[in-house]
Amino acid sequence: MRLLLRVLAPLLGLLLAVVGLAVVVETVTLWVSPASSPLIVPWPTWLTAAEGLTWQSGGVRAAAIVIGVIGLFVLILGLVARRHDVFLADPVPEVTVTTSPRSIARAVGHEVRAHDEVVSASVVASAKKVTVKAATLDPAAEVRDTVRELVETTLARLPLARRPRVAVSVTTTKGVK
Amino acid sequence: MSRRSRAAVARSAGGDRTLTTVLGLVLVAASVLALLVGFGVFGSFRAQRPVIDPMIVEWVSTHATAARWIAIGIGVVLFLIGLWWTLRSLRPEPRPDVSLSELPGERLTVEHAAICDAVRHDAELIDGVSRARARLVGTPQKPALRLSLTLVEGTDVRDVWADLDGRVLARAREAFAVSALPTAVRLELDATSAPTPARVQ
Repeated sequence: MRLLLRVLAPLLGLLLAVVGLAVVVETVTLWVSPASSPLIVPWPTWLTAAEGLTWQSGGVRAAAIVIGVIGLFVLILGLVARRHDVFLADPVPEVTVTTSPRSIARAVGHEVRAHDEVVSASVVASAKKVTVKAATLDPAAEVRDTVRELVETTLARLPLARRPRVAVSVTTTKGVK
Repeated sequence: MSRRSRAAVARSAGGDRTLTTVLGLVLVAASVLALLVGFGVFGSFRAQRPVIDPMIVEWVSTHATAARWIAIGIGVVLFLIGLWWTLRSLRPEPRPDVSLSELPGERLTVEHAAICDAVRHDAELIDGVSRARARLVGTPQKPALRLSLTLVEGTDVRDVWADLDGRVLARAREAFAVSALPTAVRLELDATSAPTPARVQ
């Protein structure tokens, strides 16, 4: 979403500038030499098209809905394009240390997969929560506790500013040990 | 965590996000308002009025000059906001040179590239760091360091910190003759299983 914002923000700015410029140009043209109006934007045509419409017309409602959907998209884009950095405790004042959720997931994933009883594992991490899904050939309940402990010790080794919650789910898969 | 080191973590997208959010809100508000009028929330008579309202048309034709000035004003404001927004979000993040002395006759600045190369080289010498990148952000008078380190699998982060503060940042502070250099460090954990082999000179 951050990348999309990075691309769309200047385009939206440009769009605003173009609309503003068009309004100024058309107004000045209408004022100074009404004969050559409209210069670029065919606004008199739009005006005649909108002449008979009331607020109840289907066309007006459809336009409103389209604008609303675009607006909602732009609004959500602005709201969700935040950074997802995971903060570590500061080693010294004046220094801020961050890491990516992906890094946390990778570190935890390495530890979990290195465990003998785990066949496969997937990890999703954020600053608040680490979710581990592991598969094993042994009874799931026993492995779940081991994996949880493993994840907790891995996270304890990292000096995270706030310890994320850990959610572990283990399933038993069929196979030969 | 100081405010300046926190600000050095990444380029801020705050301005873009605010403007985008405001634009979205305006569009949504306009759309909701049009729909509410259409569905007769503000009275069924108002819902049946034309979109190009005769009252407004009449006002515009009687006050032609005022209407034109208003239109021009709105256009100029939109144009300026749009232009400022575009330039602002297209402008690359500055890489400041650091000025060590502003005294006339002995003005001394250090180039951005020189500082960053030195810091990067120092950081790559730390045990467990496979790759380092460094750059300065902020202004020449108030620079801050942004450092991103890729750590080898199994490296203890605390050891890296100790080395980082004791060697790399201490040297940088010494070079700048400052007691504190705001620094944002970004760690990539476990990215590779072994350090990259030493480069052949």
